[in-house]
Amino acid sequence: MARGFRLSSELIAGVVVGAVIGWGIDRLLSTSPWGLIVFFLLGFVAGVINVMRSAGVAPDRTGR
Amino acid sequence: MIDPIHQFNIDKIFTIGHIGNQEIAFTNSSAYMFISVALISLLMIGAGRQLVPGRFQSMAEISYEFVANTIRSSAGSEGMKFFPLVFSLFMFIMVSNMIGIIPYTFTVSSHIIVTASLALLVFFTVLVYGFYKNGLKFFKLFVPSGIPIAILPLVVLIEIISFLSRPISHSVRLFANMLAGHITLKVFASFVTMLGAMGVVGWAGAILPLGLTVALTALELLVAFLQAYVFTILTCIYINDAIHPGH
Repeated sequence: MARGFRLSSELIAGVVVGAVIGWGIDRLLSTSPWGLIVFFLLGFVAGVINVMRSAGVAPDRTGR
Repeated sequence: MIDPIHQFNIDKIFTIGHIGNQEIAFTNSSAYMFISVALISLLMIGAGRQLVPGRFQSMAEISYEFVANTIRSSAGSEGMKFFPLVFSLFMFIMVSNMIGIIPYTFTVSSHIIVTASLALLVFFTVLVYGFYKNGLKFFKLFVPSGIPIAILPLVVLIEIISFLSRPISHSVRLFANMLAGHITLKVFASFVTMLGAMGVVGWAGAILPLGLTVALTALELLVAFLQAYVFTILTCIYINDAIHPGH
């Protein structure tokens, strides 16, 4: 259960942050809906990278 | 009567004052925070300083050694600068989780606002110290070496999002584990009373959830420690990034 929470929270955090950034850019620059679309996808990528790092599949950022 | 969420209620004990129209109250959550801090202070200050340690002094020394080794192994000896922060975080989360296992108590870290503020504290410590120590070189954290220039902007964006998502996953992990564990415990415990009300057949059936409740309590004890440890080790990894950005 702990491992599941760890990985899912990593993925969700990435997607949520990406979506929030995209939404904020849309609000500021009135580029709706492109900012949300682009950053949602980027956030998904970041989330997947987070999961891979946290699961130890991809090398860590610090290279340890 | 049986409400597994009821244990997370915040009750006001007394009002401290007002900021604007917002009431600032001393709640049961604050009371349990004070209890955990008091217990930690009692353990660490009242431990004594004998050459041959007694029980309490051993506990204090073991927790010191444990956190110090965690920091040294994941952030290097430079990370020991942050020992007070990391040790306080570890002890606070662990002791408040352990108190939360006791029936009828309140678990401080089962509220996301508590874990989120702890995670944001770490996040901003990393940001401020990273810029203070490395200046603009801190941005190297977002630029992995050996990436072709064509896809570099994309990678940097992804790294920035990944960095910003840290406090979320850091806080949600602790919060979700404590919340889910305590709800599971309450649900299984309520099966015992439900089945027990059904007569003799129910009593036989109630043995299974009762055994599971006992087993889950043991598991929760492990989770309480493990999540405090995970929070600590992630803090160390993030601090390591602030000390050595980009390797």
